Amino acid sequence: MRHMLCKYWQHFVLLPVALLWLSPVLWIGVTSLKTKSEVFDSAAGWLPDIAQWSNYPAALSVAPFGRYLINSVLVTGSIIAAQLVTITLAAYAFARLRFPGKNLLFGLFLVQIMFPIYAIFLTNFVTIRELGLMNSLWALIVPFVASGYGTFMLHQAFRQVPSELADAARLDGCGHLSTLWHVYLPLVKPTLVAFAIISVVTHWNDYMWPLLVTNSEEVRTLPIGLGLLAKADSGADWTRLMAATIVVVSPLLLFFVIFQRRFVDSFMHAGIK
Amino acid sequence: MNSSNNGISRRTFLGNTAALSVAGMLGGMPLMASGKEQVKLSFMYPVGVSGDINRIVSGMIGAFNAAHPDILVEAIYAGSYDNTEQKVMTSLGVGDPPGTWLPINSALQTFLSMDALEDVTALAKADDVYQDFLPGFLGTCISDDKLYGLPFQCSTPVLYFNKAALAKAGIKSAPNTWDELFATAKALTLRQGQDVTQWGLTIGGGWHDWMFESYVRQNGLVPWTKDKVMFDAAESVDALEFWLRMAQAGVMPTASTWQGSANDFMAGRTAMLYHSTGSMTNLRKSSPFEVGVAPMPKNKTFGASMGGGPILIAKNQPDAHKRACWTFARWMTNTANQSMWCKETGYLAARKSSWESAEMKRFVAEVPEARIALDQAAFAGAFLQVPGYHKVREYLKSAIDRTLIGEIRPDAALREATASSNREIQRMLRRRG
Repeated sequence: MRHMLCKYWQHFVLLPVALLWLSPVLWIGVTSLKTKSEVFDSAAGWLPDIAQWSNYPAALSVAPFGRYLINSVLVTGSIIAAQLVTITLAAYAFARLRFPGKNLLFGLFLVQIMFPIYAIFLTNFVTIRELGLMNSLWALIVPFVASGYGTFMLHQAFRQVPSELADAARLDGCGHLSTLWHVYLPLVKPTLVAFAIISVVTHWNDYMWPLLVTNSEEVRTLPIGLGLLAKADSGADWTRLMAATIVVVSPLLLFFVIFQRRFVDSFMHAGIK
Repeated sequence: MNSSNNGISRRTFLGNTAALSVAGMLGGMPLMASGKEQVKLSFMYPVGVSGDINRIVSGMIGAFNAAHPDILVEAIYAGSYDNTEQKVMTSLGVGDPPGTWLPINSALQTFLSMDALEDVTALAKADDVYQDFLPGFLGTCISDDKLYGLPFQCSTPVLYFNKAALAKAGIKSAPNTWDELFATAKALTLRQGQDVTQWGLTIGGGWHDWMFESYVRQNGLVPWTKDKVMFDAAESVDALEFWLRMAQAGVMPTASTWQGSANDFMAGRTAMLYHSTGSMTNLRKSSPFEVGVAPMPKNKTFGASMGGGPILIAKNQPDAHKRACWTFARWMTNTANQSMWCKETGYLAARKSSWESAEMKRFVAEVPEARIALDQAAFAGAFLQVPGYHKVREYLKSAIDRTLIGEIRPDAALREATASSNREIQRMLRRRG
């Protein structure tokens, strides 16, 4: 018994924490299967009498969620792919190259982090319109292909890589790009993963910008479909909203479950090498 | 799912018949001449009551487009009322507004101050608009005797009550006056020790400034004109003092949220609720008890402020587009479509002829509560149509909140809110000039 306690005490501490973390997800799942009157009837208990699977088709019928899902994947995927390229190159330049105006430029990058996205909505809107990209998936991708925040994160990570490693690579005949690829990137993987998680979640959930620059259903994304069910006039339509929420978050959850080991591994290895 | 399929086919059928009759009426107009280039226009709308509204609106617009080969309307869902306003403002800012849109009626002066709206008075006078629309509803689109749109989705606050809770307390009918409201709320408040298990009354928070204006109207005053507010008038102060008495007597919570208050009502945590007519379908269908609906109790008079919004038409577009926009707005608000819209969504039909149609009479016989809101609409008027209404609403809400939690006296709070609001309105007016 004592042995058990010693060996598994971390589990005893972490299990309640895990349950606490899971409880909203469970609540969403359970609510998505209730009838409307069960949601607020305290006498009805925690679980639905009969699971109302029909909430799912009913929720999905308010908007073309299949189309939205494809768009969300395309938009979020393109943004993160483009960002990983741009922030890697920019951060490398700022961390390891010497050129005139470097500090000033880097300062400007930092200022960009401080502007809330809402402050630049109008200017971005005008730019997108002049580029002729309104009401297209490009309008959702283009403003986010660079990231001051990501550049800053990666810049700090690159600076922690001992320059001896880069020098050794240079002696072996590596240019900038191959040094970056063979030396720097493998060492900053945890930072890249951390940034990717933040960026994917942010853009997956973005609501206001897509609402502003898109008009037709063909180019809209999942959060807009969700917005249809979470409305202000009459109290949310809880059962269908929760059903749609499950649908919207499950691709992300699935993604994390599949790549969980990889994510954790890359965090565990941070700083060991 | 089956019934909603029927609904769609019924709607489509309705829409088509209505479209045919309108097309018939307008058939002689040059606008409808065939062989002309198709006019494309967009319609930005919010979804305030239920996600199904998106389907209903899309269905209506599909029917409109089918019946009008020379006009193509693109339906653009634009989020909540606030989101829609932002989207329209942004488009106006770059000089490319949508042809028509559906804001909350309070925004009328805001759009007028941007010189964004087309005056449709002459078109309306040539039509039956002034005769057939309910005056209180049409009034939400009028400024300085000029008409700037057609009321499309109309609502007012009403008093919802839990019939089971009233029966349990031995109360036979819903309150009709402020005094009865107070007494009923007292009788319905249940406590266990210090804790309230059931409030007598909750006034839906978040929109409580809207409810408050109704109370002031019940005192015989409309607390605003198009360029100032009078929240510090005796009628307003008296209304807030009444709220404070109810809060201090412990029959009403000092604060609530819009969705939370509806949830509380459905869960039996409050026995009476001031909420929008737009919530009627949801409250009736989601409550595990029978829901009663009553007009808001009167003080000196009955009174209500209108919620919901009109279809507005942009000024900055070619004449052919304006005519197409009018055809569209007129079609969306025709007798058959308003009846259908009212039945499907819980918004109030804006036309007298809709309420007189056989179809609506059947509906009212089935759901007598729908009639309550119409009766009350006779006393209803526009809600806080002043420039910069967003901020003014916040000032007023903050004054009410601070009063109810006992931080400040009602008269002082309202004086402060009036001064800040009028400063803001003046600032917006200067910007216009």
